Amino acid sequence: MIEIKDLKKIYNGVVVVNIPNLEIKKGESIGLVGNNGAGKTTLFRMILDLIRAEAGEVLSNGQKVAGNETWKNYTASYLDEGFLIDYLTPEEYFYFIGGLHQQSRATVDDFLAGMTEFFNGEILKKGKYIRDLSKGNQCKVGVASCVLQNPELLMLDEPFANIDPSTQFRLKNLLKDLNKNKGVTTLISSHDLNHVTDACDRILLMEKGKIIKDIATSSSTLNELEDYFGVGQTVSAPIKVDEEENH
Amino acid sequence: MTSTFISHELKAFWRSKNTGKTIAIRIVMALLILYLLCSALFFGFFLDKILEKAFLKEDIVLSFCGILLIYFLFDLFMRLQLQELPTLRVQPYLQLPIKRNALVGYLAFTAMFSVFNLWPFILFVPFIVKIIAADSGGLAAFAFIIALAGLTVFNNYLALYVKRKANLNGWIFLIAAATIVLIGLSDFYWHLFSIRKLSFLFFGNLINHPILALLPVALGVVMYYLNFLYLKDNLYLEELGSRKASAYKSSTEYPILNRFGHIGDLVANEIKLIFRNKRPRSALVMGLFFMFYGLMFYGRPGPVGADGFKVFVGMFMTGIFIISYGQFLFSWQAAHFDGILVSKVKFTDFLKAKYLLFSIVSTVAFLLTTPYVYFGWRVILIHFVMYLWNIGVNIPIVLFFANRNYKRIDLSKGASFNWEGVGATQMLLSFPLLLIPYLIYGPLAFFHHSDIALGLLAATGIAFILTRNFWIKQLETDFYTKRYKIAEGFRDK
Repeated sequence: MIEIKDLKKIYNGVVVVNIPNLEIKKGESIGLVGNNGAGKTTLFRMILDLIRAEAGEVLSNGQKVAGNETWKNYTASYLDEGFLIDYLTPEEYFYFIGGLHQQSRATVDDFLAGMTEFFNGEILKKGKYIRDLSKGNQCKVGVASCVLQNPELLMLDEPFANIDPSTQFRLKNLLKDLNKNKGVTTLISSHDLNHVTDACDRILLMEKGKIIKDIATSSSTLNELEDYFGVGQTVSAPIKVDEEENH
Repeated sequence: MTSTFISHELKAFWRSKNTGKTIAIRIVMALLILYLLCSALFFGFFLDKILEKAFLKEDIVLSFCGILLIYFLFDLFMRLQLQELPTLRVQPYLQLPIKRNALVGYLAFTAMFSVFNLWPFILFVPFIVKIIAADSGGLAAFAFIIALAGLTVFNNYLALYVKRKANLNGWIFLIAAATIVLIGLSDFYWHLFSIRKLSFLFFGNLINHPILALLPVALGVVMYYLNFLYLKDNLYLEELGSRKASAYKSSTEYPILNRFGHIGDLVANEIKLIFRNKRPRSALVMGLFFMFYGLMFYGRPGPVGADGFKVFVGMFMTGIFIISYGQFLFSWQAAHFDGILVSKVKFTDFLKAKYLLFSIVSTVAFLLTTPYVYFGWRVILIHFVMYLWNIGVNIPIVLFFANRNYKRIDLSKGASFNWEGVGATQMLLSFPLLLIPYLIYGPLAFFHHSDIALGLLAATGIAFILTRNFWIKQLETDFYTKRYKIAEGFRDK
């Protein structure tokens, strides 16, 4: 699905992403973890052709992503609120996104009806523009609009960061369902080690732009990650990591 | 504490992304501001001559005293609409161990730093020094200046007080505005009383009894104190903010646009962008005001009423939206530009949507200018030629410069005195927009072939309209070389 070759991004002389080789197969569910500044968001942005790579390339379904528009047909992503058109109401936004994928309003309505539980009554018919929603609710809109597109590849940057615990569990189930039952390749970054090891089959650990660990999730993965992140701590308790670097 | 606040404020100003970074922009802006100040100063210096012309038979001191209160009434009205509340900047200090009095005092005090507070002095002090100081002595002149200062402070805080109250209840704004309009009407229309007489009563007596100057000062102090108390009681974010309590926002549709498919959807989104955000909305409203532009020129004798000016005026009236909205193109969508780039929107469609939007608005603008037929059919003909020119030539020019615009715009801020998003691109853009039509029109018109010149303008416009797909292709290729830079600039808050 995604193939990365010799990918490099340099800001002011500092290498922020450096990935010699990475392959993500169709149907995999990938969790990307790493401390602030590890290069997760930058990697996402390069996969989405939002920033120029200094060297190397990203291939999606065998085609170069840069300068190409085909991948947009099967890739859905939500990195931050900058992906939402914030002066629209959520309904208008969903219809717009649905329309881009040739979905009629009725189809979109059907889909939204299925999201009732995920939205928890906070999104639809509230008489608010997206900009007036809280960050967590904006995230719900972003995730829902991704799912609405029936993607083959789904990319979410820290989807668990701003949403309430109930929604976190619902989102986790939603992701699992998409991956297991619909064959969607998912690529998710998170600071929440519990969720990410639960929802993903393969964990990529980034540090200073490099992928230093590539683990197939097993019962020991969580402990392994906690050991890594709990540097200098005697007890391997899950430590709380800052929510997100500034965008 | 106050000095810390001031130093933070200065840092906020100089480090803001929108303070013109490059020297060129700073110079142009400084020149612009200087020009504005100079025009006002010029007006101030020749106020005596102007008053002489305007009120032929009266003593100029009489007429000067008469207009002062009228000016301040008008000033209050303008302030209500334009003056910004100095507010949210206190947010990072609220939870810190800082005395509320210090914070409120600072907040109330900085409200004085508004351009509005400069105008009365620039406009009236030259007259006071020139005429009143000469006629009635320094003390009287001093009393006038003190009275002016008092009224300015009073107006400043009254306007802010009303605006703060209006944030909690929108009706208050309407009531205040209506009161001012009623006062104006009852003087100038119904002649119930005369503000001029009242103004003269006060300022006329001020010449002989300088002590009266304390009255406006007292008013100003009372108003300041009211503001201070109000702020102190209401130092909560939701009440300070300039965001009004929001009503239910409903979804809107534009069925007419449905026939254009995807492109129609994109245009619908952009129309919503314009209507639902403060700054683009004011660009549109300004455009509507420009529809009266022709009244300043048409039917006048001399070069002002001639064809050459009509080309200019016609281009502005049918294309003002292309110019005012187009100069910040793509910046309007800066906040969700990443979203556009990764969504299934072909950039060709994105450009076509801009074409469609501009064509629609220009067509509406052209139709709105048809009443100018009063000044002869030729006016409408020129308008139509320039309408074709705008759609054919000016749209691709604006889009070409849009590819070179890397500045983010915050849609929620107002348009007045807002330099955000202004860069070299906007300055450069005006040259081709203003000059190219004259490169075609000027030489031919000079040799009295203005009909041929108009024909040529129209033909060029039509040629560009017919070849628009070619231009879109070129613009798209151009965009692909610059998109990373554009997207990066837009991400930069």
